[in-house]
Amino acid sequence: MLNVADVHSYYGRAHILQGVSFALPAGAVMVLLGRNGAGKSTTMKTLIGIVRPAQGRIEFAGADIAGWDTHRIARAGLGYVPEERRIFTDLTVMENLEVGRQPARDNRPPWTPDRLFALFPNLGRMRNRTGGRMSGGEQQMLAIARTLMGNPRLLLLDEPSEGLAPVIVEEMANAILALKQEGVTVFLAEQNPHFAARVADRATVIEQGRIVWTGTMAALQADEAARSAYLAV
Amino acid sequence: MGFILVQFLTGLASASSLFLVAAGLTVIFGVTRVVNFAHGSLYMLGAYLGWTILSALPRDPAWFALGVVLTGAGVAAIGMTIETTLLRRIYKAPELLQLLATFGVVLIVQDVVLKVWGPDDLTLPRPRWMRAFVTIADQRVPVYDLLTIAIGPLMLLGLWLLFTRTRWGTLVRAATQDREMVAALGVDQRRLFTAVFALGAGLAGIGGALALPDGSANGQMDLTVITDAFVVVVVGGLGSLPGAFLASLTIALLQAFGIVLFPKITLVLVFIVMAVVLVLRPNGLLGRPLAAARGDANTPALVRAAVPALRWLGAAVLLLAALAPLFAGPFALSVLTEMAIAMLFAASLHAMMGPGGMVSFGHAAWFGLGAYGAAFAVKGLALSMPAALIIAPAGAALAALLFGGFVVRLSGVYLAMLTLAFAQIVWAIMFQAVSVTGGDNGILGVWPAAWATDPRTYYWLTLAICTAGVLLLRRILYAPFGYALRAARDSETRAAAIGLNAAWLRLAALVMAGAAAGLAGGLTAFAKGSVFPGYVSIGRSVDALLMVLLGGVQSMAGPVAGALVYTGLFDILLMVTDLWRLVLGLSIVALVLIFPQGIAGTVHRLWLRGREA
Repeated sequence: MLNVADVHSYYGRAHILQGVSFALPAGAVMVLLGRNGAGKSTTMKTLIGIVRPAQGRIEFAGADIAGWDTHRIARAGLGYVPEERRIFTDLTVMENLEVGRQPARDNRPPWTPDRLFALFPNLGRMRNRTGGRMSGGEQQMLAIARTLMGNPRLLLLDEPSEGLAPVIVEEMANAILALKQEGVTVFLAEQNPHFAARVADRATVIEQGRIVWTGTMAALQADEAARSAYLAV
Repeated sequence: MGFILVQFLTGLASASSLFLVAAGLTVIFGVTRVVNFAHGSLYMLGAYLGWTILSALPRDPAWFALGVVLTGAGVAAIGMTIETTLLRRIYKAPELLQLLATFGVVLIVQDVVLKVWGPDDLTLPRPRWMRAFVTIADQRVPVYDLLTIAIGPLMLLGLWLLFTRTRWGTLVRAATQDREMVAALGVDQRRLFTAVFALGAGLAGIGGALALPDGSANGQMDLTVITDAFVVVVVGGLGSLPGAFLASLTIALLQAFGIVLFPKITLVLVFIVMAVVLVLRPNGLLGRPLAAARGDANTPALVRAAVPALRWLGAAVLLLAALAPLFAGPFALSVLTEMAIAMLFAASLHAMMGPGGMVSFGHAAWFGLGAYGAAFAVKGLALSMPAALIIAPAGAALAALLFGGFVVRLSGVYLAMLTLAFAQIVWAIMFQAVSVTGGDNGILGVWPAAWATDPRTYYWLTLAICTAGVLLLRRILYAPFGYALRAARDSETRAAAIGLNAAWLRLAALVMAGAAAGLAGGLTAFAKGSVFPGYVSIGRSVDALLMVLLGGVQSMAGPVAGALVYTGLFDILLMVTDLWRLVLGLSIVALVLIFPQGIAGTVHRLWLRGREA
């Protein structure tokens, strides 16, 4: 599905990603773990093309998308939900979803507002509410629903559980597992190990701009040494 | 009663025309965040193109309507060309560079229009239906006015439906808020921006064509219209269509009745309205505080000290300038005097814009007040030249102090527009108070003191004063005051948290900039021997902006370099070609595309790169 090889990214002169490589099989839910500032968000932004990689290959759906314009990458089937959610606060729930709408893909039934409201029942009760008048959890669900309207093959979630109440985190986890059932491949960055363990079947760990560990979630949980080296605060 | 009705209808008709231009401007700003100074030029192109098209068509209402629509489409196509060739490349450049680029377009269009359509005002023959009247309450009301009145609300309705009821409109509103996120959702924002720009340009074109029957196509309409349109957009609230409509109504009706009650007030009325609205509602009638549009690179301008090599270069240039009178002729000397003054003028604006973070569209106000202050001092109060050169900056500083209290509460484009309003009020006073200022004839015979009449002596004096002024500004900006000012610019709340009063700091910076510009004005008065309202004109403010932006706001050397290049370029162009606007405009556009950080900024970057290699 996604094959990343030796990707380097910069913010101005700061060398953030220093050779990131990993592979993501179709149908998996893989989590990107790492400490603050390790390069998780930059990895996500590089994949969607908001940050342009200075070198390296990003193979997605049979093409090298490194250096493509963001909208082209999105149309190729990469869906991105940013850390800050970036809901259009002046637009209603329905309008936010409309912005995300793209044609159906791979002969799969397209996502519609009604299907999404089944996944996130709260949203269905506030169709005409503007994004600015929603809680953080509701905004996070809207952000995911909006991206799903583009019928992505691969969904990138940047810290979906951040700043949410435990009940909402649980709802979010259920939603991600439901998406997995639907056959959507998910790649998420997380700081919350419990949430990661609950949804992900694979894990990869980033440290100072490099991937230092990759394997199944179960293997990571068994590998005490890796966890204390890369994740303990 | 009938008379009031007629005035009311006249007001409504001009409100409609105002709205057409302002709507396009506000839509373009809302989405692209480009302050499009060339919008008045698009309106002017609409008038000229409309004249060509409508003159060729049969003169009945249906053909007229078709001609107007064709004109709109034509101007939309021109807008699309401007967007794809120029603006698209600089959306990531600092906002001010975009402004500079659109100034370049204004200049280019002026010369193109002159070349294609000639210097004469063009009027449309008015067929019978256009001259028809209906009688309302015993008063004759032109049918064409009624048509115009209807077009404003219809256009508002149409745009409202477009933006709220179509997918395209939803995408545009989303892009207004966060264009990067829109792209991440698979929308090609470049095409969206091009379409929005074309729409705005088309509206301006239709506005220009519709204004033809009641007026003419002429070469001055671009700046008049852009000023009015900016006022409407700012009064209504940037990016708000209903706000623009409300503001058009308010301004046009006040104008219609104001002209009856106080005929002299018309020149300043709109600016007084704007000043009052901005003082009461700093974001306009229906505007909201502007969050920076996400996804553009708006890094605050650093203000760097010159590298040693540049200092040596500066010292060498200064030495050369000091020796110039020994070999330069009278013409070269007058150009050099002008350059020295321009340097101080530009540095004063830079102090406000760069470290102060306050962009001024009306910097000529202080320059003009200084010039008139000096002229009054010698002609009215019979004071000596040195006294007049003290009064010039002092008077400008005093005015800046009084007016500054209103300005420093605002930010961004609103602040810039309030400075423009103030400059226009000053201009109108100089223009209309004929008994004191001589009106358009100005004040003549403002000559230097006997000891300084020799152009060489006056040049040395000017060079010394201006160099000292620039160095003093530099010294102040690198003193703790300057650091505090930059802290307040970069984050008002953080500055407040460490005990800095941002409003006071800005006011002090404004007064300082006003004094320096006033001194430049005073020196100009004696250099030219006269003062005119032109010293306070929009054109003069634009000159200052161009100098600073050409040089680059990020460095102290920027305004100096910009002033020298701009004045030099201007004088040379004036000598060698009558198409100087075209050449200057193209040079500006080229400079923006080649040096997106300004001349000094780019040279500095290349210098750093060279040192690293």
